[in-house]
Amino acid sequence: MRRIGVFVCHCGINIAHTVDVEELTKYASNLNGVVVSKSYKYMCSDVGATLIKDSIKEFNLDCVVVASCSPRMHEHTFREVVSDGGVNPYRLEIANIREQCSWAHSDKEKATEKAKFLIRSAVAKAQLLEPLKTSNIPVIPEALVIGAGIAGIQASLDLANNGFKVYLVEKEPSIGGRMSQLDKTFPTLDCSSCILTPKMMEVANHQNIELFTYSELAGIEGSIGNYKVKIKKKPRYVDLEKCTGCGDCAAACRLKDRVTNEFDMGMGKRGAAYMPFPQAVPLKYTIDSKHCLFLTRGKCGETPACREACAQGAINFDQKEEIIEKKVGAIIVTTGYDLLDPSSLYEYGYAAPDVITTLELERLISSSGPTKGEILRPSDKQKPKSVTFILCVGSRDETQCTWCCRIGCMSALKQVYLLREKLGEELEINLCHTDVRSYGKGYEEFYRKVRGLKTNMFRGRPSEVRDMGAQQKIDIFDTTTNKLFEITTDLVVLVPALVPRSNAVDFARLLHLTLSGDGFLLEAHPKLRPMDTFVNGIFIAGCCQGPKDIQDTVSQASGAASRATTILAKKELEIDPLIAAVDEELCTGCGVCVEVCPYEARILNDKSKIAEVNEALCVGCGACIASCPSNASIHKNFTKKQILNMVDDIL
Amino acid sequence: MPTEQYAYELSLREILPLLDVELVDIEGFSCCGEPMKSVNQLMTLYLSARNLAIGEKHKLDLFAPCAMCHLALSECKYVLDSNPEMKKRINEMLDSEDLNYHGDKGIVHTVDLLHDYIGIEAIKQHVKKPLKGLKIATHYGCHLIRPSEIGRPVHSENPQKIEEILKALGAETAPYAQKLDCCGASLLANLPESALTKTGQKLKAIQEQGFVALVDVCPWCHKMFDSKQVKAGETVAAKLDIPVLYLTQLIGLAFGLKREKLGLELNLSPVGKLEFG
Amino acid sequence: MSIIDLTSMGESQSELRREINERLSKLRDEISDYCFQCAKCTSGCEAHKLLELEPHKIVALLKRGLIDELVNSDVIWTCMSCFKCKERCPQRVAPVDILFSLKNLAVLSGKEIPGKYTAMLQSVLSIGLIQDVQSVTTHDGKTKKRDELSLPSISKPTDTAKFQMALSKIAMEKV
Repeated sequence: MRRIGVFVCHCGINIAHTVDVEELTKYASNLNGVVVSKSYKYMCSDVGATLIKDSIKEFNLDCVVVASCSPRMHEHTFREVVSDGGVNPYRLEIANIREQCSWAHSDKEKATEKAKFLIRSAVAKAQLLEPLKTSNIPVIPEALVIGAGIAGIQASLDLANNGFKVYLVEKEPSIGGRMSQLDKTFPTLDCSSCILTPKMMEVANHQNIELFTYSELAGIEGSIGNYKVKIKKKPRYVDLEKCTGCGDCAAACRLKDRVTNEFDMGMGKRGAAYMPFPQAVPLKYTIDSKHCLFLTRGKCGETPACREACAQGAINFDQKEEIIEKKVGAIIVTTGYDLLDPSSLYEYGYAAPDVITTLELERLISSSGPTKGEILRPSDKQKPKSVTFILCVGSRDETQCTWCCRIGCMSALKQVYLLREKLGEELEINLCHTDVRSYGKGYEEFYRKVRGLKTNMFRGRPSEVRDMGAQQKIDIFDTTTNKLFEITTDLVVLVPALVPRSNAVDFARLLHLTLSGDGFLLEAHPKLRPMDTFVNGIFIAGCCQGPKDIQDTVSQASGAASRATTILAKKELEIDPLIAAVDEELCTGCGVCVEVCPYEARILNDKSKIAEVNEALCVGCGACIASCPSNASIHKNFTKKQILNMVDDIL
Repeated sequence: MPTEQYAYELSLREILPLLDVELVDIEGFSCCGEPMKSVNQLMTLYLSARNLAIGEKHKLDLFAPCAMCHLALSECKYVLDSNPEMKKRINEMLDSEDLNYHGDKGIVHTVDLLHDYIGIEAIKQHVKKPLKGLKIATHYGCHLIRPSEIGRPVHSENPQKIEEILKALGAETAPYAQKLDCCGASLLANLPESALTKTGQKLKAIQEQGFVALVDVCPWCHKMFDSKQVKAGETVAAKLDIPVLYLTQLIGLAFGLKREKLGLELNLSPVGKLEFG
Repeated sequence: MSIIDLTSMGESQSELRREINERLSKLRDEISDYCFQCAKCTSGCEAHKLLELEPHKIVALLKRGLIDELVNSDVIWTCMSCFKCKERCPQRVAPVDILFSLKNLAVLSGKEIPGKYTAMLQSVLSIGLIQDVQSVTTHDGKTKKRDELSLPSISKPTDTAKFQMALSKIAMEKV
């Protein structure tokens, strides 16, 4: 006969205000199998825990029912308390009399009656609870980091320095990400490359980091502690061992300066054989198979020019795509962001050559950019005498991107500063803003500095940008002076919204990750678990989770590395036993569960013809239990018998 | 339409049969109500609803060559289709006229009728006298392009359908900064001088950029640019001397039809300046 | 609880504001609450340059509940109904719709209707069209009637009595 103890929590006034706790406690003490029934104000506190543990000892309990808040809040807490007290932690049942009772109703009498039913059914289930044991799986002390921008680089270095092997995968030919496209960073005006390249070098030389550039994730299997990943290495057609990065191939390439350079955001050109930027890591060349004449048409002059030019014989057109498999214990996703294409706000005239985005301007400012750092108008290659910034293009906009991009205001201010530096006092700089969000450390000081640089600040959003041919015309109503101004300007810089990567949906599907409403990867909890995801063992950091600046990105990256370390540092992991199991006598081997399982946790054993559960993969979603035609699929401690017992008792 | 723009009506009655479109004249229509919207929105809704209901009674889609009517009808349809309470209320009123709105018929304007339903290819086939070398400015009109929320026949920021039709007729087109500017017609009722200023400013800009003609698709816009061109010129102190035609008139000319049939004598702007080959 | 505008000593009329929002929501979904005064509407307003209409200010005054000031003003009648403000607003506020409602409210509260609206209204009430045009003039001064141009007669409401009844009922009703 079970000896059940019932503990009812007041939860301050959260429960006690709407439910008569004392009446409940008395009611519970008379239930079948209940040996003792107590109540306390805050059962989750130290005092509450002691109360439970002492009661277990005093009354020799072998099962505990706690009537309190939702199990999502404190089930974990109470399992530990119960375990501490000497009872199997899975002989615990929670009756949710807060979220499902006191918080949902206002009539005290009725609410108390309902709570009685809830406790009663919890006791009924408790009578049949099994003392489950957790099982262990071994952890592979290696990690995969997807995306080698500053977030990926930071996370990789943290993990590698902790002694774990890291596979860093990057889809571009070089690591560095968005930060490598920047000239300077706000608010310190550090040279972006100067602070980034040492880290890039560290990654390249670190004995614990294996770099896969020009590679993508092709597939993933397994679960926390034990993932099997497939990395697709795209062919560069350049032998990385032989290539010295001398550049002769690019100089000789027949398509030199004819292909749009994506690193320069389309402001410049490159050849089919190219290196994305001078400080690339690895410092090797790549041949773009989408444009290369030899690869697309089978013919490049008499013989491919690059192959002729390469003294090392590093060009190899026979290279093929390679799939490499690795086993890792944890994964960190740091895939970054894209900018909204301002064409979706056609009224801002992005179609005109002299209307550009912030990243495009950044490439003009950069000394290694297409104009070698000269600020020249795309239309006539002349220096502009007037530049106008329009902030919030597509941001905070219910018809485009509803969110704030966080970095728009500061990026624009930074570029104002740099333009003033490059083009002198004569340059007219106008900035149209809806707000100036300079929230971070040192940001307000920077904003003040820019205000002192003769920047014409207009508070308002222009309705349109008119292409007048040689110049652009913008009408803006300035709400600070209540006047309509007409700005005639040489160069318009749009600050577009930050959006998820264009392939975010497919990528998320590959990893079983959820997206939030705005399309960025969803964190497990916005305040308390910002780097975790709902897939155990996969963490996210940087802009793939939501727009943020470099310092927040680096913080998150280190945080994600720390989170990953909680897995990697263990030899084994405990598996939650509240998952599916197979009643071997009932199983007919039909295989429905195998098809239905979204986590690929079910297999049909060839020899015994009975279904099996991969305990490492099963998360206990219940799909197989619902679909098994023979009732052979059971959910441990949520069995049909246990639940029917609850129902019978209520009725 | 403001029942005075006979040229529009003449020209479209001439060209549409050639393009296999049958226009059915039905009795019982009233004003669409849009000009009255400032005074009583419910009346506007009712007037448009009854017109739609009449069309439904005859099992026909409505052809609204006037952009303002098209807007009124489209907005009415949008409101009644998405707000069942309002639909019920309006139907109760329509009952007294033995009418009922179901929402199963559509509304079409000249531009989408020509571009989407008839098609550029069909139009090209009938061109006998291509408008060689004529650089023509297009004016869509605010009510044809906005508000995109209720569904308009053309894109609200970069409309190109008329340009495509003009190209099929052999004319030249070019973008110009003032393309989406308003003609000012809505203010004619209470602030005529401001209305004419708008008209004058746009015509002046078009003239200055070397266009030889302006083409429009709304009777209100046409009234401002064509009939009131002289007055508009006086208001903005500029000599305005630019031919303004309905798109349907231009198409008729390209099809080789006679000027009288297309109502060109009713255009008060100097359409005689244009040479048609 | 009271909010008073010191420049006009007008008190916030939350009742009326709620009524206007209700009217707006009867015809549309979005209301003025979400406006964050970016002034994109005013920056592009076709009527602003000539007539000083500031759509964002109208919305702000409505939010504050200062309806009387708006309803009694002349500026609400300057809107050109070009719909640019509605098209481009990032928060789906439609100043043009608010203005229509304010104008309706002005008429209902007995304010004088400006310009030719009354004449148009009377014409619609009697023959169903805003004007009764008998002939037009050509560019060389001749007059032409519809039948002279082989145009069919204009479509008008067939049962004028029922039509007029229906319309007069509406003129009485509030939206």
